[in-house]
Amino acid sequence: MIEVDGLTVRFGGVTPLDDVSLRFAEGACGLIGPNGAGKTTFLNVLSGFARPVAGSVRAFGEDLLRIGDFRRARWGLRRTFQQEQAIERLSVFDNVGLVQEHCGGLRASRRRDVERALEFTGLELLAEQPVGKLSARHRKLVEVARAVVGSPRVVLLDEPAAGLPDEETEHLGRVIRKIPDAFGALVVLVDHDMNLVSGCCRTTAVLDFGKVIASGPTEDVLRNEHVLRAYLGTETQL
Amino acid sequence: MGAAGAPGGTRSFWTRGRLSIETPTAVRAVVISALVLFVLLALPPLLSSYWIKVLTSVAIFAVVALGLNLLFGRVGLVSLGQIALLAFGAWAAARLFFLTDLPFPIVLLLSGVLTAVIGVVLGLPALRLSGLYLALITLMFAGLVAIVVPTTNFPNGGSGVLGHTESSSGGLAVRRPQFAGGDAAYFRYTVIVAAIMFLLALAHVASKPGRAWAAIRQSEPAALAAGINITFYKLYAFALASFMTGVAGGLYAGYAEKLYSYQFSGARTIDSVTLLATVLMGGIFSLWGAVIAAVLQQMLPALLQNWFGFFNTNPDFLLVIFGVGLLQVLVTAPEGLVVSVPRDLGFLFRLASRAASRAAGRGNEA
Amino acid sequence: MFPSYQDFYPYIVTGLALGGVYALSGVGMVVLYRATGVLNLAFGAIGAMGALISWTLINHTSFPDWASYLLCVVFGGLVTFAYGVIFGPPLARRDPLVKATGTLGLTLVLLGLMSYFWPPFGRTMLLPTSTPEYSYHIGFANVDVTWTQIIGLSFGIFVTVAVGAFLRYTKLGTAMRAMANDREITATLGVPVRRVEAVAWLGSGLLAGAAGLLLSDLVGLDPVGLTFLIVSSLAAALIARLRSLTVTLVAGIFVGLATALLTPITGFPSETNYQFSLSSYRGAAPFVIAIITLLFLARRRVVTISRTEG
Repeated sequence: MIEVDGLTVRFGGVTPLDDVSLRFAEGACGLIGPNGAGKTTFLNVLSGFARPVAGSVRAFGEDLLRIGDFRRARWGLRRTFQQEQAIERLSVFDNVGLVQEHCGGLRASRRRDVERALEFTGLELLAEQPVGKLSARHRKLVEVARAVVGSPRVVLLDEPAAGLPDEETEHLGRVIRKIPDAFGALVVLVDHDMNLVSGCCRTTAVLDFGKVIASGPTEDVLRNEHVLRAYLGTETQL
Repeated sequence: MGAAGAPGGTRSFWTRGRLSIETPTAVRAVVISALVLFVLLALPPLLSSYWIKVLTSVAIFAVVALGLNLLFGRVGLVSLGQIALLAFGAWAAARLFFLTDLPFPIVLLLSGVLTAVIGVVLGLPALRLSGLYLALITLMFAGLVAIVVPTTNFPNGGSGVLGHTESSSGGLAVRRPQFAGGDAAYFRYTVIVAAIMFLLALAHVASKPGRAWAAIRQSEPAALAAGINITFYKLYAFALASFMTGVAGGLYAGYAEKLYSYQFSGARTIDSVTLLATVLMGGIFSLWGAVIAAVLQQMLPALLQNWFGFFNTNPDFLLVIFGVGLLQVLVTAPEGLVVSVPRDLGFLFRLASRAASRAAGRGNEA
Repeated sequence: MFPSYQDFYPYIVTGLALGGVYALSGVGMVVLYRATGVLNLAFGAIGAMGALISWTLINHTSFPDWASYLLCVVFGGLVTFAYGVIFGPPLARRDPLVKATGTLGLTLVLLGLMSYFWPPFGRTMLLPTSTPEYSYHIGFANVDVTWTQIIGLSFGIFVTVAVGAFLRYTKLGTAMRAMANDREITATLGVPVRRVEAVAWLGSGLLAGAAGLLLSDLVGLDPVGLTFLIVSSLAAALIARLRSLTVTLVAGIFVGLATALLTPITGFPSETNYQFSLSSYRGAAPFVIAIITLLFLARRRVVTISRTEG
């Protein structure tokens, strides 16, 4: 369970997040909103890349904001980025193992942990391949594997399916949906693809201009008129 | 120590189930060992005393270049102060040689450790700076040392904190290891120490620090998100590079025997820049690039001085070549000579064999 | 023994003059950096080579003196411009470290050429404004000030003001300021990016040439020494955070004074046997100032990722 209260981020005259209060219960939770709504800033605060000027974030009862930098990853918080971050010249195995060895994984269990993550994402056969040689679909799966290896407590996925065609997005969705049960981690999924979000997440929150405009069961949220207006309104302005 | 990014992944019997980067295959290891043995045993009798000294300095600078190769090639940090650290290592070693009776290898280790401490102290504040500012601050440090050293002088057996004596008869030669007093023997000793340093580098690159550095080099945010303590690993890189440079400094003290300030004086701040140029030209994606860098930096001047009277007046003309080389690497071939020369040679070879077969074909028709 | 205040007067003059000249190169560096992202560390070497060429023309040919001096300045502009034309575009998209390293390559080339064509030899450059007829005697301080020194300081001030005005009141200057803020957007707005960059390269090069000429007179015609005097201008530019021209000027003067005022401080304290002469370390002053400035700039640690929103 992640509890966010009154989170506000301000810099350079902009307020990307304005008094945001949310609860993420167990399982997979979605976070959606139009462009510029503050979703990535939200993930940045959670993962330690942005400092809020006000508010608190508690995860599993602990004050997350007091844990700095790389220690959050060791605590058990993983995130993916919109830009792929795997090291191209290293193999898939090494890339996933890199995360394991720096996030508190034991040397003895490294092989087992990495293989488990690879089997989960369906990448076992590609373990020795350098990531640079893989297709886009497999590279996205590598990012997921890096996020789930070991025993993460929270997994933040930032537009994990960006640029993928529908069929591959569906496959990715099926993988993501299984993360909470397989690893016991809480997943927060940020994406624009509504099918992906409704397929994976039982609950969803919606941001617009840095404020929460809806949150609750995904089907309800997606039919919410404020949410529709936020999206459609942006489009008609274009 | 092979070229990185070999297509199809680096398959070797050591990688199954083990995390590693560029673990050499058994064959490569044998070839390299044979090469080293040749250099150690067969080479010295073939060369004159002058060339043995030149090759000794090549071995020493290969270690210094290795430090920068690691810092820049693996972690992405540019330090323009390595030569200043080399001077410090030589200074510390000379001081220890004159003050104590410690065995040679212990002095090398100590000078390495002391230099590593300086490196870490320098690196600490510098870590918060971006690449350009880090390069600038290390360059400033190099300039500072270059100005201070000629004024304070190197230890030469005199008394006092600086261990320097002005009297012309008082300057002693730095001692050498007991079994390696002569030039050829000292050359072998230096090569062995250099080989150990390269193995040390390889061990780091192929294990946890190497992987962490690769992650940091690619993207610091991603490395943080993977739980990597960036500050620690950057400082570790600094410490390792400085340690190696310090050991090289100790070797240099033994090599030069009498350290004179002018060898590290103001004119030579530029040597740190030259080092960067040669390291880049040699190639930063492979540890061998450091050897090429040392050959460029130390052997080229000697070659040109001996073979071309043209350059006899001023070996600094080589700076032009290094400058052009640096610009060329920056603009076109970031992988350096280590990859581009074999590749270009291979290309030329194919071109030549194609031309030859065409000529043979035409000859058959005639 | 610590010198009395009167001993400092001549060095105040020297320091002010040098400071003004440091500001010349400093302003050039800042403007070029803001327009192109290139921190040009070769300006010292460029000025030195221009001065050497002038010296050769004056002492070994019948080329008129005034033309030789002019050539030094023009040379500075041409070499910098040529570098910008050849190496600007291929490195344009790289980060500032790579661009600055390129200028280090240029420094190596120039130093090599200078070492070869002008072997070490005591050369002096004496500008006509440095001769005794062109100096004033300041009575109360008992100091002689040459016209060269006056030119050094006043030209530095003049250039700072002029370039500042150029940036603020001319179309090209405004374009340059826009580019400094955001290159990509400026290009799409129809600003002649190439022309702006060319002006920046040429202009900063001319300033470097002028600085080289003045420094060769004030400090001495030593190629290596002149090459590394760039550090003083660099320190000034860094203190100005590579942004404000006025701060560059003030900082340049500060660096000039700091270095010069250390000169008379020899051998202190005198009571001990250990003679510590600050004077012999004065060459280190610009480096120390630069280091302190860089450390100060590093106070805030920032690890940022792209701010593009999702």
